[in-house]
Amino acid sequence: MAVDITLSVNGVPYPLTVDPHASLLHTVRGDVGLTGSKEGCDDSECGACMMLVDGRPVNACSYLAVQADGSDVTTVEGLSDGETLAPLQEAFLTRGGVQCGFCTPGMLVSATALLDRTPNPSEDEIRTAVSGNLCRCTGYDGIVKAIAAVAAERAAQG
Amino acid sequence: MSVIDTPAQGSSTPERPRAFIRPDGKEKVTGLGRYTADLTFTGQLHAAFRYADHPHARIVSIDTSRAKALPGVFAVVTHEDVPDVRYGGMTQDRRLFAKEKVLWEGDVVAGVAARTVEIARQAAALVEVEYEVLPAQPDYVANMAPDAPVLHEGWAEYGADENLVRDGNVMSRYVIAKGDADAAMAGADVVVKSHYVSDASQGVPIEPRALVAQWTGDSVTVWSSTQVPFAARSGVAHTLQIPESKVRIVVPLLGGGFGSKCDFHFEAHVAILAKVTRRPVRLVFTRKEEFVAPDHRREGMDIELETGVTRDGRIVARRGRMVLDKGAYTGEGGFFAQMAAMHACGPYKLDTVRVEAFLNYSTNQPAASIRAPTAPQACWALEQHLDEVAAAIGMDPVELRRRTLVAEGDEGPAGQVFEKIGAKETLEAALELIGYDAYLRGELPDDEAVGVACGWWPCFGVPSGAYVKLNGDGTATIVTGAQENGSGSVMGLPILAAEILGMSPSDFSINYQDTDAGPWDMGSSGSQTTFNNGRAVVEAAQEVRAKLLAMGAEKLEADVADLELADGTVRVKGAPETSVTIADLAGTGEPILGKGSGEVPEAAASDASACVGSLGMESFLAPQLITHAARVKVDRDTGVVRVLDFAAAHDSGVIVNKVGADGQVYGGVMMGIGQALTEATWTDEEGRQKNPGLLDYKLQTASDGPRIQIRWIEIETPNAGPKGSKGVGEPPSVPTSGAVGNAIAKVIGRHVDQLPMTAERVWLAANSPAGEDQ
Ligand code: FES
Ligand code: FES
Repeated sequence: MAVDITLSVNGVPYPLTVDPHASLLHTVRGDVGLTGSKEGCDDSECGACMMLVDGRPVNACSYLAVQADGSDVTTVEGLSDGETLAPLQEAFLTRGGVQCGFCTPGMLVSATALLDRTPNPSEDEIRTAVSGNLCRCTGYDGIVKAIAAVAAERAAQG
Repeated sequence: MSVIDTPAQGSSTPERPRAFIRPDGKEKVTGLGRYTADLTFTGQLHAAFRYADHPHARIVSIDTSRAKALPGVFAVVTHEDVPDVRYGGMTQDRRLFAKEKVLWEGDVVAGVAARTVEIARQAAALVEVEYEVLPAQPDYVANMAPDAPVLHEGWAEYGADENLVRDGNVMSRYVIAKGDADAAMAGADVVVKSHYVSDASQGVPIEPRALVAQWTGDSVTVWSSTQVPFAARSGVAHTLQIPESKVRIVVPLLGGGFGSKCDFHFEAHVAILAKVTRRPVRLVFTRKEEFVAPDHRREGMDIELETGVTRDGRIVARRGRMVLDKGAYTGEGGFFAQMAAMHACGPYKLDTVRVEAFLNYSTNQPAASIRAPTAPQACWALEQHLDEVAAAIGMDPVELRRRTLVAEGDEGPAGQVFEKIGAKETLEAALELIGYDAYLRGELPDDEAVGVACGWWPCFGVPSGAYVKLNGDGTATIVTGAQENGSGSVMGLPILAAEILGMSPSDFSINYQDTDAGPWDMGSSGSQTTFNNGRAVVEAAQEVRAKLLAMGAEKLEADVADLELADGTVRVKGAPETSVTIADLAGTGEPILGKGSGEVPEAAASDASACVGSLGMESFLAPQLITHAARVKVDRDTGVVRVLDFAAAHDSGVIVNKVGADGQVYGGVMMGIGQALTEATWTDEEGRQKNPGLLDYKLQTASDGPRIQIRWIEIETPNAGPKGSKGVGEPPSVPTSGAVGNAIAKVIGRHVDQLPMTAERVWLAANSPAGEDQ
């Protein structure tokens, strides 16, 4: 019943034996042991579990681990080396984008995907890009400002 | 008084980063921080509950044998496995596990601990419960009829606060009265009556609650996503009949609460399972459980208001009758009747008052504190009612508020005389930010309008404690009983201590959310952390300061009066080179600690002699004043409302941590807009939730957000928190739906009398013939 797969999570390969029904989220939080990605609904409704699979943002709660076999998976833990923060992480902190922080990992992953694909987004594009990520604390203001600020900094640096 | 503005979101030039970074920030953005559900323990078991199968039924028998026989099950517990005690805030009306009756769909009948979550849930389903099914009684208004069956048959014997006026299904009746409202109403130029009804709604933290319990000997530690660790501790101690010294509650990072994680909830259930199995036991709620199982939602409310005015806008009488849905149990919401009545009065000059409020039992999910409990609904009704009053005397609704809002020296509804407050200033500020003049000049399209609403919320003065201790290298640690819910209020405590000690906020670590470490605190509820724990930290830091000055005086051979603390040193004023570093003083090994609680401020005197069932809230301590103004667009064909622009002007006293305070307003306003337009718990005819999920219970998303502008009216408030501060967290949701409702009414020509004001309800109001009820 169990299936052998290899997940590359944040650049590290993990050979794993998983239940065919196991979600990518449970596999990464449980078997891989990276708990940065959160479970807010287990039903594709909140975005707290957002990961990049080969650069594409997915709700990992509703994505099977076996579907990600052989893929590159990026979680919030992979956005920086943990010492020096990535510009988005820094900006979320300085601009009030983080309160309880439970939505933050998913938000940061969505924002990373957005800026990879659309380096200079409009405010509407930012809001649309994170509209699958629910935040109950911040009213999204600090989050939107943080993403805009990073985009502007990058544009300024050319 | 000073005024600080926060530019609207959406400005194309991003703001400069601000200096203060919350101490828990790095762990949150890197994903390395641990929330409760991130903890795992060797040998842990998983818990699941068997919930009531009917909203109202007598339990005839419970048979756990089949559940226990399932391989992988370690324990199944029921009321027989715990001491036979009831618990609850102002009325002790609930047991951990239902015994005689179940009273709502979330009542817990049995708990299971098993090797996996799946086995635990399977076993919970195998518990055989025989019921005598009784008719559900979800209609909380009908439940006060004399012939309505009494839900808590033993209510009269329950332990209860002696000030509560209780009677059968009426858990609490309250009347606020001043003067002869009946006579004054009869003499008014114009009398307006309104009836508004609000559905129940939910707090919806993005983190579903999680708990892990582990025993060592006779002591239990419970890691819990609670907003109130000390209340959780007393709940465990009381229901399991063990001393508080044997219970330790630790809160890992908390993923939001908004009130829903206040009160003692499931800590004892998990503790008893861990005790019986002698294993760590973990419980993590599904999103559906997070909606259905906590005894905690925003109460449904039926509100009748009547106001008598003179033609020039003097309110000569206010009468009201409010009925609130308490649901099955009291929890910590026993004071809601009184709080609701205060919000039916509002921050207005009223010559006479008589508002009666009933808090009734039903077979619905219990209601308890959600961000400013009772206020958003009552304020929504009152503020729309006031617009109706203004229309009846042909006055602009803003002008009516200008004439009736309270100011320094005015009287509250039970005679409280207000000290310096900024109610009127918030009104003018919000009008300016939203561009009310342009609206009055008719510069908006005819499907847009601006609505304005005012509101208030008290501060709660309660004891609180903290320690400040210096480390040998000149850094410091704050040990506090306070709880951080995400708002940043605990994270902001170093700002207060740093200023007193001439240190930098980043020199401080914080030890918090552990009942074995910090002194008792009420928890992250009532917007009270800065107000009360801030005061405690200030006092503790003052004690450390006094010690440092004395040590410095000896070292520098100077007089204490000539010394100051700055830049991490004790130095002579005017001669900074004559100094000794705090590190030198603290590094000797002699402990330098301070403890603090501070004197609890008290509310102004009031006269409750004409009130019934008073719990002492007729006078609001350090009231926070708010005006919200919303510009909305209404699609008349579909009823869909969009909030385009929003202004929030707040008097929360002096603002201690602006990033944190702004964040509360942005988040609170968005929550308020959700409550105004989409958020409701829909139920079937028996009170079962029909939308316990995030697809059907619709929160606002980033795409829904309007432009939000904030202005702080900063008044150094007497008799308040540190530096003249007041609370910040709850007021931002108070007048939001009232402002949105008044704007909608201006577009469609009538007030929507049900909350939330969904597209369907707006469409019906817009399309029903004048003079007819929807
Ligand atoms: S947990 Fe995956 S979307 Fe909510
Ligand atoms: S910061 Fe709490 S949910 Fe977003």
